[in-house]
Amino acid sequence: MGGMHGFGPIPREDNEPIFHEPWEGRVLGLMMTTAAHLKGNIDNTRSDSEMLPAKKYLSLAYYERWFVRMERVCQEKGLVDAEDLEALWAGQDIASAPEAEAVTPHDIRTMLANGRNYVRHLNTPALFSVGDIVCAKNINPKGHTRLPRYARGKTGEIIAEHGGQIFPDTNATFSGEGPERLYTVRFRASELWGPDANPADTVCVDLWEPYLEASKTS
Amino acid sequence: MPHDSHDHTDPPSDLALRVKALETALTRKGYVDPEAIDAVVDTFETKVGPRNGAAVVAKAWTDPAFKQRLLDDASAACAELGFSGQQGEQLKAVENTDAVHNMVVCTLCSCYPWPVLGLPPSWYKSHAYRSRAVIEPRAVLQEFGVDIPEDKEVRVWDSTAELRYLVLPARPDGTDDLSEDALAELVSRDSMIGTGVAQA
Repeated sequence: MGGMHGFGPIPREDNEPIFHEPWEGRVLGLMMTTAAHLKGNIDNTRSDSEMLPAKKYLSLAYYERWFVRMERVCQEKGLVDAEDLEALWAGQDIASAPEAEAVTPHDIRTMLANGRNYVRHLNTPALFSVGDIVCAKNINPKGHTRLPRYARGKTGEIIAEHGGQIFPDTNATFSGEGPERLYTVRFRASELWGPDANPADTVCVDLWEPYLEASKTS
Repeated sequence: MPHDSHDHTDPPSDLALRVKALETALTRKGYVDPEAIDAVVDTFETKVGPRNGAAVVAKAWTDPAFKQRLLDDASAACAELGFSGQQGEQLKAVENTDAVHNMVVCTLCSCYPWPVLGLPPSWYKSHAYRSRAVIEPRAVLQEFGVDIPEDKEVRVWDSTAELRYLVLPARPDGTDDLSEDALAELVSRDSMIGTGVAQA
């Protein structure tokens, strides 16, 4: 939604708690502890959330958006069924029959502490190098992509190269990590937004090689 | 559960009840250990947060060799202080100077450097910040009480990949006598996102 108008002032809050309601923390915890059982990945999770109808996406609060997705995916993947949830909503109990091994508190602390590795070695040469002037492709896939709409068709300068990294567009659909080289591209604000932008200002965006082509003007 | 004309009942409007139901169902089936969820909540409520980032900034202000390591490889430098892990695997520190003011956003979702800043505040995840930070950063900064001279570059970093950005704010004038701990007190969360500045 970068560059859209109409969302009003930034809603700031003094002394904001980490979680406004205890259930928000439970949602974050549920997402992390069920990740292995749901066999998802970060790109698929983001993609799933983006595929909500636009009106719904905009109307849901942050943790609500993630929760609605969790609740649906847990049913789709057969971890829980609708009857069990309905019974619990009605204050009834459900039968206990463990079918899996849960992630332990120790496992989750280790996961959080270790993080994940997104970097993949590439044998292919880089198409671009620092200092090159490139153009972000004007592409509009229906599926998941990390090329922001506001940068499409715009020209900028490569200011850093970060090696091969998992490519979200394919990873999101489980069609492979398909690692591609990642670059940071610096765009002038005036290139992105026109003459009203401050000529001194810039926006830096991390973009994978398939999003880029050599600038026709360079 | 009785069914009449509907196949399934609509979910209740009470989200807390729905979340509790999902957690209970997953727990009963062995997919979730509630104590593992407690561990997640505890991590974000007590272990990670902007005080971590403030310690990094204060050390960079007082130790030029550390500052250089931070600018070269922020993940490794922050790990020296014990701050590493998920959403901090590829940290990049960007330094505010006389010529450049840096500011961080994630227009696509709400990516944020957890090990050094914790979970993002609601405003960082808001549609307003995500949409406006790239097109009118100066108007956003003014709402936060930050005025950047017209001829100074405002450089916005949109976290579209797995790199996570930490702004290294400028050290306030008149703080030469302060200890590292005292300096860390001057480093606000917003100054490390770039919507604030460190103030003495």
